[in-house]
Amino acid sequence: MKWFINTWRTLNQPTKYLTLGTISLSAFLMGIIFWGGFNTALEMTNTEEFCIGCHSMESKPYQELQQTVHWSNHSGVRATCPDCHVPHNWSRKIGRKIEASHDVWGWLMQTVNTEEKFESQRLEMASREWKRFDRDDSLACKNCHNYDSMKWDDMSKLAQKQMKRAAEKDQSCVDCHKGIAHNLPDMGTSRAPELIAQVGTGETGLVVGDSYFTALTKPLYFNDTTDVEAGTLNVATKVTVLETNGNRVKVGIDGWRKKIGVGRVIYFDFGLNILSAQLSKDAAVEEGIMAVFEEKEDPMTGLKWQRAEVKIWTDSDYLVNELQPLWDYARDTYSSSCSVCHTQPDEKHFDANSWPGMFQGMIAFVNMDQDTQALVQKYLQEHSSTFDKSAH
Amino acid sequence: MNRRDFLKSLMATSYIALGSASVLAPFNALAAAGAKTNNDWLTTGSHFGAFKMKRKNGVIDKVIPFDSDKYPTDMINGVKGLVYNPSRVRYPMVRLDFLIKGHKSNTSQRGDFRFVRVTWDKALTLFKDSLDEVQTKYGPSGLHAGQTGWRATGQLHSSTSHMQRAVGMHGNFVKKIGDYSTGAGQTILPYILGSTEVYAQGTSWPLILEESNTIILWSNDPYKNLQIGWNAETHESFAYLAELKEKVQQGKIRVISIDPVVTKTQRYLDCEQLYVNPQTDVALMLGIAHEMITKKLHDEKFIEGYSLGFERFQPYVLGESDGLAKTPEWASKITGVSPEIIRDLAKVMTKGRTQIMMGWCIQRQQHGEQPYWMAAVLATMIGQIGLPGGGISYGHHYSSIGVPSSGAAAPGAFPRNLDGDQKPIFNSHDFKGASSTIPVARWIDAILEPGKTIDANGAKVIYPDIKMMVFSGSNPWSHHQDRNKMKQAFQKLECVVTVDINWTATCRFSDIVLPACTTLERNDLDIYGSYANRGILTMQKMVEPLFDSLSDFEIFTRFAKIMGKEKEYTRGMSEFDWLKKLYDDCKADNVGKFDMPDFDTFWKDGYVHFGEGQPWTRHADFRNDPEINPLGTPSGLIEIFSRKIAKFNYDDCPGHPTWIEKTERSHGGPGSDKYPMWMQSCHPDKRLHSQMCESQQYRETYTVQGREPVYLNPSDAKQRGIKDGDIVRVFNGRGQLLAGAVVSNNFPRGIIRIHEGAWYGPVGKDGSKQGGNEMGALCSYGDPNTLTLDIGTSKLAQACSAYTCLVDFEKYQGKVPEVSSFNGPIDTQI
Repeated sequence: MKWFINTWRTLNQPTKYLTLGTISLSAFLMGIIFWGGFNTALEMTNTEEFCIGCHSMESKPYQELQQTVHWSNHSGVRATCPDCHVPHNWSRKIGRKIEASHDVWGWLMQTVNTEEKFESQRLEMASREWKRFDRDDSLACKNCHNYDSMKWDDMSKLAQKQMKRAAEKDQSCVDCHKGIAHNLPDMGTSRAPELIAQVGTGETGLVVGDSYFTALTKPLYFNDTTDVEAGTLNVATKVTVLETNGNRVKVGIDGWRKKIGVGRVIYFDFGLNILSAQLSKDAAVEEGIMAVFEEKEDPMTGLKWQRAEVKIWTDSDYLVNELQPLWDYARDTYSSSCSVCHTQPDEKHFDANSWPGMFQGMIAFVNMDQDTQALVQKYLQEHSSTFDKSAH
Repeated sequence: MNRRDFLKSLMATSYIALGSASVLAPFNALAAAGAKTNNDWLTTGSHFGAFKMKRKNGVIDKVIPFDSDKYPTDMINGVKGLVYNPSRVRYPMVRLDFLIKGHKSNTSQRGDFRFVRVTWDKALTLFKDSLDEVQTKYGPSGLHAGQTGWRATGQLHSSTSHMQRAVGMHGNFVKKIGDYSTGAGQTILPYILGSTEVYAQGTSWPLILEESNTIILWSNDPYKNLQIGWNAETHESFAYLAELKEKVQQGKIRVISIDPVVTKTQRYLDCEQLYVNPQTDVALMLGIAHEMITKKLHDEKFIEGYSLGFERFQPYVLGESDGLAKTPEWASKITGVSPEIIRDLAKVMTKGRTQIMMGWCIQRQQHGEQPYWMAAVLATMIGQIGLPGGGISYGHHYSSIGVPSSGAAAPGAFPRNLDGDQKPIFNSHDFKGASSTIPVARWIDAILEPGKTIDANGAKVIYPDIKMMVFSGSNPWSHHQDRNKMKQAFQKLECVVTVDINWTATCRFSDIVLPACTTLERNDLDIYGSYANRGILTMQKMVEPLFDSLSDFEIFTRFAKIMGKEKEYTRGMSEFDWLKKLYDDCKADNVGKFDMPDFDTFWKDGYVHFGEGQPWTRHADFRNDPEINPLGTPSGLIEIFSRKIAKFNYDDCPGHPTWIEKTERSHGGPGSDKYPMWMQSCHPDKRLHSQMCESQQYRETYTVQGREPVYLNPSDAKQRGIKDGDIVRVFNGRGQLLAGAVVSNNFPRGIIRIHEGAWYGPVGKDGSKQGGNEMGALCSYGDPNTLTLDIGTSKLAQACSAYTCLVDFEKYQGKVPEVSSFNGPIDTQI
């Protein structure tokens, strides 16, 4: 212990023998040596060998990478682990390294050392990487891929259309190209991922008084805090924002209802079975939610219809500015999914009230999740002969 | 197999094609050319079933059922014969006069079977030139490329998708709506039950077996028809039919087959039959309804809560609206069913749980909309729609409907449509005032009477002036009605192009015939289990394409290349790139629901199994809450009276189900004094429509003197001096055919059966070899559509009415012609 106190005293004294220059020089030299060592060490951790040094990385992500175009392609350029997962800019790199110390902990605790553990963590790990890519607009991709250098003519028409749109916004690559180097995680409950990739998760900063369209079928609530559901709001439905509070938004839905049962289904317009919203029985009779106005008889069914306005709460996500991107997605899906067995009929071959019967009667072989089904049906109805009178 | 192997084998095929002349040669040549011999069982599938196959010396040797197919059909024995048979289209061929004169050819020669072999390049260039000519001269209304059919299975090579994508890249064309099988049903039922029903999943068999007391098979033969499926069929329904048979024998479930004939299902189940005169089912149903109303057997509460318009239908039944009560006595006179039996039936159907299962034949007749509508009304009156084992279904005989679905996402397919903003070369949408979409079975009328306006499903359809037809994997010279009328129409066409594996009658009446290879000569993948979506299987190439045949993908890639659109067509992807994409997309769709291995593992294993599904009841959600789960009808409720249909003001399809007399009907109906026999042309027992008729050895297991069987009642046969095994001439004012007599008590007096899909083999009127292309020709094999009536079911559906058909028959005394349906054309050199 004594040697330690002595050394401390020495170090604590102003220099007696050495000049300031000597000290500065030696500090500088030692700095170089240290810095070099540090960088060498740092660079060492930036090699593929280091990355796959642990079993978890070698057995899963590395194997998956080898199946992809980033590993083997006709131009012989290969992207290895750090090319995508370590920023090239120094300060970000250091930040990333500090962040990565978390991985050492994971290695010590063996959090992903078996296939099962790895798969169970895959979504979390992937999400973290996706977020990081989101933050810098997929800079790691853009180190090699540049929108400005893309030769549009060599792309298919479809690719051109989508890439040009992405280029305009300098869109983050992984917005669309998730799973390009490793298998996609099990996203289980994520709804209509392709639709959402195209239309987005909704506007931030909803403006009171403005109108928006639902990008998914959304739950309705009695107020801004409760979890008690008051019904559902159908996809591609126009709503007006009346009030916002945190993650909740109060919206107005205008439409018509049939005067049968409780009258809790709101349709797009008089006599048209185009679904806008369904309220629970409690919500339909709750004071202040639904207001009912004039009444008309539908000559096609003899049923009475009433104009209705609903004011009700929903989550503030999945509300988008424009309807057209939803229709674009629905049209493409209809065109590809409904032509697997036969030529799909023109949208305007049937009227708005005939489409549900035709669509529901043919859905057995079509792969659409519930949201997409609802959207495509609504697309067909709103582009049917009821709205488009041109001959065909 | 990798791409290099694929190219190598293509070269080998070309070599064979050059060096072979006879049918047998290619077998040896193939072996010599080193087609991969493989001792492994390879997995593949078809409409007829899923199989495992083994090769020997480059030739398909053994075919056994896929492991999970516990009830394989006998048709497994015909599969090899689809590849190896003398009807194969070996080379691209062009009709002689068309090759010389192109669009100015003598079209009355069409069907005389004189063809010239040409190269692929020549054939495809001629094809493109013809399209150019038609698009330039007439625009899109001159071209009909929308007449599609059953194709062969496979999600990548699906022939109709390839043809329509490629032709669509050239220009726009006339399309069809509906199909021959269910045309009337799929049009009427959305108005009544809010869905086509015919193609919708039905209540699961386990629930039916558990809950039903009575099952009514109305004009329905599931044991025959479940043998084939839209995808690779694995016949799971048969396990449930076996269980049903047991329950019938134990007296636990009563099955009544309401049918003029003893069906295969009735014989299998050993169940009851209720005979009804052909085409009179609506009268029988009205008699039952009358009894239910007068005895108050119907469920008024259900009718009130779940349907609309009963109050406008009831007066018709009781005779208050038209002065004619539809009593059991009234019905008895028309239907041949005694009033007592009708009364009893009303009681049986309303007692306990009753599941009505409708077949499809019954709607393939004039006013075919009515029996489907009326049956839905009966089911509504019984009040069990939405209950397990009750209500009504229209598809339990089809493609594993009723087997619980796995719930997995199925693979997509090669795109039929153009991508995104791709535009055709000829992008005119000017149909010259005519309709761009016409009801499927009205195209012959359109060719004959361009410009004519008809009513169809509430709209006006104006027939386009069609000058050119393109078919692929479809054989309308089997499934359309009235061959002589078709000949007349085809003489008006300038050009007909057909892509097929074998020389169908449609090829015979074409100008350019392109040889596609069979499913066993290319790589593909498919769903197995049809509606059950039990899994995905590989369709591995067993042998290289025979002769000059090519896969559909290859044919239309080459065609696209001629248009300068190869890359647009293929998206720059090869056969295996596409298979991987279809598989990987499907895998992505199933993430979190069903585990799928990587593509290579799938290809090695031969299949991915999705597992069992959950039993499910059709319309249960509607029954539980009709407000939140409305039907897809205008009102959201069952429509007994449809104001929408009534508004169309059609005399042949009024606002509620109605008994309407037919143009021709046996058993005392109109025209029966002239031609007394009703001919039923139902789906075959040993084919899928016309597919597999060309499978020679298998065909010989059921033909009579080489002809298609005609099933005759013993007394009717005896009266005409006909014995079992005789050649019979069947005829009416529309045509004549030869068939081989099978005398059977399964067929009552006044009824004969010839299965549709029997290949048309025309010869001269008097049986001479020449003259098959002429009007009045004799069909030497027995195609029933030589005789059927080509009219729409009604102004609503305008669907096929093949079941409205009267004929007579006699022992054939003339010179017996050779069957001319098979063996391909007369090769001609120029």
